[in-house]
Amino acid sequence: MNAKKGLAKAVELYANKGERARELRAQGRKVLGYVCLFAPPEIMAAAGVLPYRLRGDLQEPITKAHDLVEPFGCPYMRNLLDQDLKEKYDFLDGLVMSHSCDTVQRFYGIWTLNKKPSFHCFVNVPHTLTPWSREFFKRELIFFREKIENFSGNEISNDQLKKTIQEYNKCRVLLRKLYSLRKEDPPLLSGNEGLQVLVAGMGLPVNEFHSLLHEVTKEVLGRSQRPARKAVRLMIYGSICDDLGLVQLLEEGDAYVVIDDTCIGTRSFMHDVPETSDPLDGLVTAYFDSFPCPRTDRGANRARFEYIANFAKEYQANGVIMYIYSYCDPHKLDAPDISEMLKKEGLRALIIDDDYSLSNQAAIRMRIQAFLELLI
Amino acid sequence: MDQVFGEMARAIKSTETVRHIKKYISSFYERGQRRQAAHTQLVWNMLGTGAEILQAFDLVGEWPENYGTLCAAQQVATGFCQEAEAEGYSNELCSYVRNTLGYLRQCRDLERVPPRAPLGGMGNPNFLLGSGLICEPRYKWFQAIGTHFLEVPIFNDDPVSPPYDADLQDPRLAEHYKAQIRATLQAQITFLEEQTGKKLNLERFREIMSNSQEAMKYWYATLELRKAVPCPMGSEDYFTAIIPFLYLAGKSEAVDFYRALYEEVKGRVDRRIGVIPEEKYRFCWLGIPPWFNMGLFNYLQTLGVVVCVESTYYVGQPVEVDLADPLEGLVERTWKTAQYKQMHGSEVNPDICNPGVFNPGVGPELIKRWAGDYNLDGAIAHRTRSCRATSMGQLYIKNKLAEIGLPLLIFESDMVDPRAWSDAQVKMRFQGFLETVEARKGKKLS
Repeated sequence: MNAKKGLAKAVELYANKGERARELRAQGRKVLGYVCLFAPPEIMAAAGVLPYRLRGDLQEPITKAHDLVEPFGCPYMRNLLDQDLKEKYDFLDGLVMSHSCDTVQRFYGIWTLNKKPSFHCFVNVPHTLTPWSREFFKRELIFFREKIENFSGNEISNDQLKKTIQEYNKCRVLLRKLYSLRKEDPPLLSGNEGLQVLVAGMGLPVNEFHSLLHEVTKEVLGRSQRPARKAVRLMIYGSICDDLGLVQLLEEGDAYVVIDDTCIGTRSFMHDVPETSDPLDGLVTAYFDSFPCPRTDRGANRARFEYIANFAKEYQANGVIMYIYSYCDPHKLDAPDISEMLKKEGLRALIIDDDYSLSNQAAIRMRIQAFLELLI
Repeated sequence: MDQVFGEMARAIKSTETVRHIKKYISSFYERGQRRQAAHTQLVWNMLGTGAEILQAFDLVGEWPENYGTLCAAQQVATGFCQEAEAEGYSNELCSYVRNTLGYLRQCRDLERVPPRAPLGGMGNPNFLLGSGLICEPRYKWFQAIGTHFLEVPIFNDDPVSPPYDADLQDPRLAEHYKAQIRATLQAQITFLEEQTGKKLNLERFREIMSNSQEAMKYWYATLELRKAVPCPMGSEDYFTAIIPFLYLAGKSEAVDFYRALYEEVKGRVDRRIGVIPEEKYRFCWLGIPPWFNMGLFNYLQTLGVVVCVESTYYVGQPVEVDLADPLEGLVERTWKTAQYKQMHGSEVNPDICNPGVFNPGVGPELIKRWAGDYNLDGAIAHRTRSCRATSMGQLYIKNKLAEIGLPLLIFESDMVDPRAWSDAQVKMRFQGFLETVEARKGKKLS
């Protein structure tokens, strides 16, 4: 096990993708790769399985995936599939996907029928926040729990699931506390550091992530020197941001990333899973009702976007980077209204449309520099 | 010949019935004038909402996605798409959606219907009835309209389809999905009752469902007749002939149309009349066609190609259900159809729970069966970048068809926006593909 602590450990875990999962697997722990939180990791963890959130690789050009899927559509999913085809996930015992979006829904068939993982399952997710859709999602979680029990050979009792939910909630509390340190000016934790911590957590058992978060928080609070002040404070809004590439581009200029609204960022921890007598009810509330992914239909009221501006103001962000993947329909169909809302709230926004690889880095850098100049 | 079937040409139909479809379903084609005269509520809706339910409420409807095809055919869609892009909507988004949003932008900016809008425009909807069937943009589409342009009540139904590996014979699973179908259908009815002030008349709905069943029997029988050599009806007719079941299912006009079409096509089979005098190649079609250039199918005919069967909007074997409780009958029809579709492979066409009667696309196992049934020499897939829901998986199907030696050509453009069309390039690809097909034509299909 890694001897480093705190941020150094996070940096190492970020750099050595899957290392801890490999160690645990070698010790007999089963590891399941998953793509999205609609398949709650708490259910997998409650069975003693390590839920490993799949990570993309910006440096790896997509090659093998083009034999199986079209060269368009979500670049992130194509990147993940490509890595699996190149055996980068050889430490996984199976794959869990959910109906996050059209692409994931279709990739489930293409991926599992070609790669043939020894275990795979799909958690179906409705789109509308209605009583019947909630009931449907709860039934899906019942089926998901049964499948994980069969896979792991371990019963997931309500008590065990409640305990696991509490563990994950403890991490959420710590993440919110860590993030609150970024409200300071200058933020006590940079965007680069914050992202590495988040990504490190994607592949750790919950208790180890909990320890890591304690260490990082203590370390950051105990720093003798505050970081240099920068002129611009930024929010990142958009889909999954699991690589330092974008954050580095933003923070190499006179800017810090102080807050985000992204899949592995605040969307994953701003709301605790409520501790309900039937723990599945709490998971439905957290992952279906409260999870602010634009793929879920929350009606046409612009009020559904206000939390983004509220976040930005709470963290005193001057501007918002709307980082949206190519072909991402849910984010792209909301983008004009979000831009308008932010403008009305006095917040400038820059839309960066990317194919996940940041291959057009020079152009993106130039746009960011111009944007920062507007904000200074 | 290229002058007749050049770029952006309308299709020349083979059958009299389809050529004169307006005679059968005049209410659909004259809906623009009729709604102006009728002064009744107007609903914008989309495929997947269940056309029979709409008939039961006597609703005057407009379909923005069909409107997209009209705009494409009349070569005005590009302008509307550009308007949407100027409003901030990405050019990667579905071109049906961009067409609608651009049209609405123009309505807003001009404060009237844009002069080039077909049918005098889409009217002013009182409410929007959407469906999530097939893709997310369908939820986001009406949501974007409601957020950005029009403040009207919106209902989106929420059909959830089981994954390809779900055991649909498992009664627990069946009830799990049927409960959702039932609930979202009931919620849709409740919404319509609130908006219209009318109650659903079950007796009338039963009659509509019965009409729908009868119409589908004729239509499916017609599709089966296309197995004949020479093929009596091609895609140039098919993509117009689908209109009644897509938008007018349950109407007696739809029954009349499909009966007439069946009789004509049967007659053509009996008299051995094919689409073209010399049929050299028989193909299957996948994907949404380029609505701005349906003359493409006539162009293919000049090369000796007849498209005998289409994956897009395929209805499959009609399902007859007990209509004693017509709502439960609709639930049962939806589920039984889902089971049928999954049996033929739903791994890349996963949206199988559709209260409508059709498939967005069929699975590779059914296409493999078609290879023998329709005596196919190859397949063509239209890859529409702005519609990932129907395009994603074509490569997978190509790989599966290669297992039986059936070649598939994927060519790229768009369903509505002709900016994506490159005539010379597409035609060159077809010609090259035919050389491949010719070279393999002698081999037996396994």
